[in-house]
Amino acid sequence: MSESQNMNYAYSPPWHDTHIIGIAGSSGSGKTSVAAQLVKLLNLPWVVVLSMDSFYKELTPDQSKLAFANNYDFDSPDAIDFDILVDRLRDLKAGKKAEIPIYSFEKHQRVPNKNTTIYSCHVLILEGIFALYDPRVLELLDMKIFVDTDSDICLARRLARDVKSRGRDVRGALQQWHRFVKPNFELYVRPQMKNADIAIPRGIDNLTAIAMVVKHIQRALNAKSEAHLKKIAELGEKVLEKPLTDHVTVLDQTPQLRGIHTILQDRKTSREDFIFYFDRLASLLVEKAMDRMTFTSHKVLTPLNLPYNGLRCASAICGIVILRSGGVFEIGLKRVVPDCKIGRLLLQSNIRTGEPELHHLKVPPNLGDHQVLLLDPQIASGAAALMAVRVLKDHGVEEANIVFLTYMATKVGLGRLNAVFPEMKIVVAGIEEAWTSRWIDEKYFGC
Amino acid sequence: MATAAPDTGVEGCAAAPIGPSYKDEKPKATVSGKIKFDTVHVLPQTPQLIALLTIIRDKNTQRGDFIFYSNRIIRLLVEEGLNHLPVKEHEVTTPLGRAYAGVRFEGKICGVSIMRAGESMEQGLRDCCRSVRIGKILIQRDEETAQPKLFYHKLPTDIADRWVLLLDPMNATGGSASMAVQVLKEKGVAEERILFLNLIASPEGIEHFASKYPKLRVITAFIDEGLDEKNYIVPGLGDFGDRHFGTLDE
Repeated sequence: MSESQNMNYAYSPPWHDTHIIGIAGSSGSGKTSVAAQLVKLLNLPWVVVLSMDSFYKELTPDQSKLAFANNYDFDSPDAIDFDILVDRLRDLKAGKKAEIPIYSFEKHQRVPNKNTTIYSCHVLILEGIFALYDPRVLELLDMKIFVDTDSDICLARRLARDVKSRGRDVRGALQQWHRFVKPNFELYVRPQMKNADIAIPRGIDNLTAIAMVVKHIQRALNAKSEAHLKKIAELGEKVLEKPLTDHVTVLDQTPQLRGIHTILQDRKTSREDFIFYFDRLASLLVEKAMDRMTFTSHKVLTPLNLPYNGLRCASAICGIVILRSGGVFEIGLKRVVPDCKIGRLLLQSNIRTGEPELHHLKVPPNLGDHQVLLLDPQIASGAAALMAVRVLKDHGVEEANIVFLTYMATKVGLGRLNAVFPEMKIVVAGIEEAWTSRWIDEKYFGC
Repeated sequence: MATAAPDTGVEGCAAAPIGPSYKDEKPKATVSGKIKFDTVHVLPQTPQLIALLTIIRDKNTQRGDFIFYSNRIIRLLVEEGLNHLPVKEHEVTTPLGRAYAGVRFEGKICGVSIMRAGESMEQGLRDCCRSVRIGKILIQRDEETAQPKLFYHKLPTDIADRWVLLLDPMNATGGSASMAVQVLKEKGVAEERILFLNLIASPEGIEHFASKYPKLRVITAFIDEGLDEKNYIVPGLGDFGDRHFGTLDE
């Protein structure tokens, strides 16, 4: 049963249904500056600007010749690869990862085999002269802005930029303006204004209009954040009824394990002892988690030249550490899988709302080819864990290839994870009755 | 090749499907033989344990990998062994100020390695018990009688008050281990306080040992098929000490 078939227990990350803002306007009207100002004023790590310049079509050799002679029309909608743009915007809207091509203005070509990855932004600002042109794009936009700047100012800015940063000469740039930019503006760019929700005259100088836009986006984001938290809360009520499946392994509470728990839980335990016993428990947990991996048959010969029908791990193991807390498992992980690739993602809870937020993500390439150990010592509400699993799935990891490893978990947190991602395995050292704040990493790292 | 005596209930090793739920067919592997002695504890035959054993049995495994992967099994043996030590109810206060009803470890322990292969298990023991005392017993085969002979021992002076984790990775005939237990008993260690940790045992060796010392607990990772005419465990993994310490010819 996959997540999508499992609608009763669906989880959407906060970047699902990304808020997309389109900013169109003439070349040189100040779209980029307006976008930059919005980013600055919103002051959130999840606001990403996507320039439509990345979506220029690849030129044929003939077109390329024209382009180098400043005779190719870059300012017509035909120059833009709207199909790819729409495709990527739809992915981002759905909360997925999108690979954005990189376009070289010097070579009039896409840079081969290179992409920029956009993932998990809450707000995407699409800026380009034709941001409000294609009806498929318009459908995806939550807010449509047209920057309406006087054409003399536009020309002046465009000349300066073409010469300074795009390696063109003044004559060529002027020629472009008169042959292509101006006529196209009248024909295609200006008419987009009727598609806009807001026109911003004077562009970046119009502080009042920009402040209004910012307020509007902030309201929309707050509403989304509330909806996200509410959904997780509802999920918690639903799963309390549901028993955990056998994909959840709780370590046997043996005398040694109970003794280790006691040492770890004792506030009087020194940090030295705490670290020693935690590392010992972590190695045991990782060993237990390795039991949940997929193996294949593997026959070997012993030094006596006798066969033994054994097993080996079906694919490489990758550890993904949910920072900061997950870092406490790294020594245990290396004791068991010393050459394990290790990816990291930094999740932090918003101080105001408690909502987990994805701040940083670095995973090995081809993550989808690995069996993944996801490491976090505590599961309380499960919100951060849900987000982390979603991130892995968005990076091509199959749910069945994930083992979530944790020290202590609440029943409701485990229930949420188990219900939303039923194929994922979970290994936990103990169940916690009441919700507790994170303290393991504080004691382990001493801060 | 000798076979196990039927009355002990040792069942031979067999290729069995193993592991948790698989999308496709479960892979098959040879798992440990079974033995009906309450005092003998064979580690759960999980796919991961079988994969570790596969690596250390493979004659092409390099020494670094042999040491690393055998140490992982040894740690599991030690963890299982420690579970047989007594604990006492003990309540503590958590960092968040709540009461936690836990337990405290009771009883002093020490390790005793049967030289030299047993010494290769000391790191795994120390990984779990930092400052544990470790005694040594040197037993070698007497060339004239072909019987094991005690050459040397050095043990903690208060060993009679301790639980002993006796270390020897291979238990072929059980001869050296029996002699080591004899030494420990002479020093006043109670039989029920000895835990014999062992990676691979032969059905004959473990049966002999378990019947001779009915109160002593044995923790092993695998009961193999049997012994060959030279008393090597088959299919086994070769000479553990040689592979660990790098003292093979070539």
